[in-house]
Parts: sequence; C-alpha cells; structure tokens
Amino acid sequence: MSYMLNPGAQSDSNIEVHKYYGGTVVIAAFLALVLQAFLHKYGRWSELIDLPLLVTIYFGVSRRNPVTGLLLGGAIGILQDALSHDNPIGLYGIAKTIVGYLASTIGARIDTQNPVSRFLLVFVFFHFHQAVFAVTERVLLDHPEPFFTLRLLLNSVVTAAFGVVLFAFLDRLRRTS
Amino acid sequence: MIEFLFSRHRPLALLAAAVLAQVLLLAFQIKREHDVRLIRYWTAAVVMPVERGGTWALSKVGGMWTGYVGLRGTRAENARLRGEVDELRMRNRELEGRAAEAQRLGVLLNFRDAHPEAQMLAAQVIGASADPASHTLFINRGERDRVRRNLAVITPDGIVGKIVEVFPATSQVLLINDKDSGAGALLADTRTHGVVKGSGDPDPRLEYVVNDEPVHVGEMILTSGEDRIFPKDLLIGTVASAKAGNPFQVIHIAPAARLDRLEEVIVLLTQQELKRPNDSADSADAQPSAEGIVQKPAAPPAAPAAANAPSSGKAPAPPSGPQN
Repeated sequence: MSYMLNPGAQSDSNIEVHKYYGGTVVIAAFLALVLQAFLHKYGRWSELIDLPLLVTIYFGVSRRNPVTGLLLGGAIGILQDALSHDNPIGLYGIAKTIVGYLASTIGARIDTQNPVSRFLLVFVFFHFHQAVFAVTERVLLDHPEPFFTLRLLLNSVVTAAFGVVLFAFLDRLRRTS
Repeated sequence: MIEFLFSRHRPLALLAAAVLAQVLLLAFQIKREHDVRLIRYWTAAVVMPVERGGTWALSKVGGMWTGYVGLRGTRAENARLRGEVDELRMRNRELEGRAAEAQRLGVLLNFRDAHPEAQMLAAQVIGASADPASHTLFINRGERDRVRRNLAVITPDGIVGKIVEVFPATSQVLLINDKDSGAGALLADTRTHGVVKGSGDPDPRLEYVVNDEPVHVGEMILTSGEDRIFPKDLLIGTVASAKAGNPFQVIHIAPAARLDRLEEVIVLLTQQELKRPNDSADSADAQPSAEGIVQKPAAPPAAPAAANAPSSGKAPAPPSGPQN
C-alpha cells in the first residue's frame, strides 16, 4: 500500500488510488468544519489546528485526482469562509483550492504513508496555505496579513503533528480492495 | 488547439477557473473607498480604456465625416458665397461713396445757404491734369453755367484755386499749389501781407514776408482780397513751418482745403466779400468759422495798401503782386 518517490510520468498508470466508503469524504469534511467552528467557542487553543486544511491535504493526496482535489479544497474553503464571522467568501476558498490541487498533484510523487513525510507535507502546505491567504488579503482586502510569525510556526507544527495522527485514523476508513 | 489544451491541461485550467471564480466572488463582496465594490473598480479599469478608445475612434470617424465627406458641396457653396461677398462689398463701397458724397454736398449746401448774398455755383470735379507737375483739375461747369476765367474756386474748408480755362460744359481750375499760381494773402495774427504761390510741391508757400516778422507755426493764413480773385478773409491754410531765408522767410503752408482729394467745389461767380456768420469786429483773435470764413481780428495796426506790398513795408517790394 505504501510507495516511495514515484519515478515520473510512467508511474501515472501505476499510482495507487485509494478508495473510501461512500460519503466518507463528505462526512469528514463536514465534521472538520463543524469541529473547527465548535471548538473555537472553547478557547483560542483550537486555532492551533487547522482541521479543514488537514482534510483537504489528506484527501487530495489520497485520491490523487487534481480535479477532485481542487474542487474539494474549494468547497471546504468556501464553507470555512461562510462559517467565519467577517471573512468575505473566497478567502479560504482560493487558498484551499490551490492546496487541494497541489496536494493531489504532489501526492503522486512522494511517499505519503510515512509519518515523517506526512508531517513535513502538512507543515509545508500549512505555510503555503498561509502565504496564499496573506497574498489574497493584501492584494484584495488591503489588510497587512503576515506571511510568517512565531505563532504561525507553532500552529504549523501542532497541525502537522495532529495531521500525522488524523491521517492514520483516516487511513482506516479506506475501502480494502 | 483549445480542445487539445483543455484535454491535456484540464486540471490546471479548472484550477485557474476555480481560483478566478473565487477572486471575482471576493471582488464582488469587498468594498473600497466610497463604498464601491472592488469588482466595479476592476470592471471600470477594464472597460474604460476600451470605451475611451471607442469614443476616440468614433470622434475621429465623425470628424472625418464632417470634415471631408460631409463637405462635398462646400467648394461650390464657398465660391458662390465669395461671389456674394464681393458683390456686397462693391455695393457697400458704392453706398459708402454715395453717403460721403451726400455729406459733402450737404456741407456745400449749408455754405451756400449761409451766404445768400454771394452768387456761387456748386461743381463736381471730373478730372485732373495728365501732367504730374501741373496741379490743375477739371470741373463739370463751363461757359453755359456762366463760368468765366479768374473766378475763385473754393470749398467750405478753404480756397482751392481759380478758373484758368473755360469750355462750354467744363472748366479748368489752377490749384493754389501749382507753380504758376499766386494769391494775395495775409497772416491772421499780424495782418502781414504776402503772396501764396505754388512751388510744384504738394504744399504752397507764403512769400515776401521779411525775416523780422514774427511768424509761428499753426498761424492762419487768409486771403487779402488784393488779387481781385479771392474775396477777403477766406482761409488758405496754416503755417506748417517758417524759417529765415534770403531775403524773405521761407514759409510752408498746410492748405485748409484737401487739394489732393477734391470731389465737389464751389465757384464764386463774383468777388464780393462773403459775410461772416458773426459779423462782430470785437473778436480778439481771428477764428475760422465752420465755412472757412475767418472772423476779423481786432484793429490791425497797419493794413497794407496794395497787393504789391505784401509785407508791412519793411521788406523790399515784391514783384508786382500775384499773377492771376
């Protein structure tokens, strides 16, 4: 089930695409959004983890289909914007659309089963997501959103660590062939 | 080609479309200054240059239409209007000429009405001498109109000359600035006598005034009546310049009558002295009236006795008076 670095285009036909039980993706995404909003009520510690981002990355990497990856990322991002109290619709949508696309594209080329790989993957995507978010904020909203802070670094580490655990849990939802 | 691109890069194209759609969605929600949505700014930024270009192009096309295509008949119309303008200008000049003539004739009529005691005849200048050195002109009155030689010709402004040749219907006038002309004259201020003679120049001179006699520029020069042609005290002109000469002063006269622009004149049929409009002799200084008749100044000290003595007697005798 696991594989290491994929050797280029010829590997496209050999890529293992994971299947999930019906409704798994939708339910996981929905729960991530609900939990993120729900936990936010109980303190700022919930901001340490970006659950919608983890779901986007995981299913993008697992499904390895750029179209479904970007659509899933876009849908999760837009819903996240809708649940926020002052974000215009599309801020998270743009960032997660691009993350979903890249995750499904890159996931075919690197080992996504190894916990270290998963940690690094989430860590990098967290900061890439933040970068896209900051650019969008600065260009469109004229808000000085930071690209990098220590708080963001802490968030990325916590999210990446939590991602390793979450991904292992989500692996169990795969449909065995 | 487009199908190929979309089949090969469909995920990328879809990504671009999804991102673009969300950017537009954001632009629709975000408001900038003056509560204007960002998408309006962007739309204006995209559309306005195109509209400006379209407006510029349309104005150029419109300009070409109105400036070239729409002016097809302009050349002919322009030629017709130019013709009309020329015709109207000619008509205008003719009317202006008639108005000026009426004004001049009005002045002559007033002059005649002011002097009912004198027999006079209005005449029109119909020609001039062909010799540039000869200052003569022709009038439309002749023997049939009782015109005869040596009659004075004047205008309301001042004297002009005298009749030298008479034909049945026309006469020739010798102007006072002709070199063969001469008229008895006197300076209005000092009553010093002299003779006005032509020199061939446009302006005549006053001769036979001795150097000791004070003469100032602007002083009036009047007819003395001694030549038996011009009645006494008609205005000849004013002193234009005066300087000492040998043996007499050289005095240039600015004629009162515009000798180079005469169109209507008056022929005096007698040498009878004209009545002054205000015949009071108490006037201190000689002043010309509107009709060129000068008020008599108060008691001149020593009036000359004859045309042969144009000055006050101190000067050598001039040659036998004006040769009229």
